[in-house]
Amino acid sequence: MRLELGKINISDVQFGSITKLENETLYVNKDEIISLIMQDDHIKHVEVEIAKPGDETRITPVKDVIEPRVKVSGEGGIFPGIVNKVTTVGCGRTHVLKGVSVVTCGKIVGFQEGIIDMSGPGADYTPFSKLNNICLVIDPIDELKQHEYEAAVRMAGLKVATLIGKAGKEVEPNEVEIYETKPLLESIDEYPDLPKVGYVYMLQTQGLLHDTYVYGVDAKKIVPTILYPTEVMDGAILSGNCVSACDKNTTYHHQNNPIIHDLYKKHGKDINFVGIIITNENVYLADKERSSNWTAKLCKYLGLDGVIVSQEGFGNPDTDLIMNCKKIESQGVKTVIVTDEYAGRDGASQSLADADPLANAVVTGGNANEIIVLPPMKKVIGMLDYVDKIAGGFDGSLREDGSIEVELQVITGATNELGFNKLSTIEF
Amino acid sequence: MVKEIERTGIPVVHMCTVVPISLTVGANRIVPTIAIPHPLGNPSLDPIDEKKLRRKLIEKALKALETEVVDQTVFED
Repeated sequence: MRLELGKINISDVQFGSITKLENETLYVNKDEIISLIMQDDHIKHVEVEIAKPGDETRITPVKDVIEPRVKVSGEGGIFPGIVNKVTTVGCGRTHVLKGVSVVTCGKIVGFQEGIIDMSGPGADYTPFSKLNNICLVIDPIDELKQHEYEAAVRMAGLKVATLIGKAGKEVEPNEVEIYETKPLLESIDEYPDLPKVGYVYMLQTQGLLHDTYVYGVDAKKIVPTILYPTEVMDGAILSGNCVSACDKNTTYHHQNNPIIHDLYKKHGKDINFVGIIITNENVYLADKERSSNWTAKLCKYLGLDGVIVSQEGFGNPDTDLIMNCKKIESQGVKTVIVTDEYAGRDGASQSLADADPLANAVVTGGNANEIIVLPPMKKVIGMLDYVDKIAGGFDGSLREDGSIEVELQVITGATNELGFNKLSTIEF
Repeated sequence: MVKEIERTGIPVVHMCTVVPISLTVGANRIVPTIAIPHPLGNPSLDPIDEKKLRRKLIEKALKALETEVVDQTVFED
């Protein structure tokens, strides 16, 4: 599969009468967005607001962040199996609106959504403070069940991102990157002397409201399987979960997975990056055993020399991570695991719930229990009334002056386990 | 908690779903349970069958508690 990824730089977003792109400015039609969202009869009300880098604005409770993209050529459309038909994607050309995102907000679970600060100390901890964010604050109809609310907000975000992405279809990109993965045997023939490296991509699937979708399938119902990396760039994997904000993979993270991009950078030079194995993080032990058995089996079957394994979330998925690591290593395939840590506020506690001596190469996205004080902001997009209960918050987190004392856990993307942020750990 | 209680001389059975974590943290008597969100029950069963399941798990745990062990032991069926 060969995909041309055309990046269109956007430096500003404004409301306008039609949705269009002009001189690096994206104009979006607010009424069009509202009427698109209100087609869903689960939704009572939506506010559409723009947050720009440097604004004294706090966005919360954040559910998902999505990058607008559009297929220009090649089969299928963005978000196959959900927004577009379930065609296999990853070939042809895709345009990306760089510097902009759609942020969905809503008090779905309350304690399991995140915070994005557009300025101040909190902004340094989230990559999304650097984007022009089109925020959708979505209220459900009365007595809508949580999981139906989640589905409605998820679909609203994906539909709006798809609508906005279309503005880039006819625009000449600032830069075009080419990514290509060949069928396995051809790939091995092409670089016979390079080590064959794969990527084991663990997806959050801990149950209702903790789900990830692959071509429209709830990933807790899959057995591990193989994807071409370019499929992910076309939205084959997307987030449908409400879990701790710091280390969940938003849809934006999936679209821009830095492990995939970095492996491509080394492809054909230092390594032969042959593909991705996706797997899940289920709540039954038999599922954990089966999935990790299968990732190990597939690694061996593909003849890999080494893999990178990335985790999503924390707690019992630590076991999935360690099982994957242990079983893949036992097949004679080297592993590096990418995770984050819950090492206590002083960093002195055990970082993961599970461990094994074979997990001897670890990359960490930082300690989610570190405390940060977020100063009050002039503007809040969304609402603050759940901050004392948010995962990483505590009774008294929200102070009288509007400042918030919390763990990094509350900040969307702060300790991302794909390495999509700046935090890590050094030994001394 | 399992280890601290055992340190006082009282035997403990750890009933849990993720047995590998229980082994890693050092529990000595482990009874595997149903699933992480509902360790001691199964909402997909009807209430009568679920009660049987719960009783079976508790009885297994009590039996484990009475059993002498020399090493970490997982009480499978």
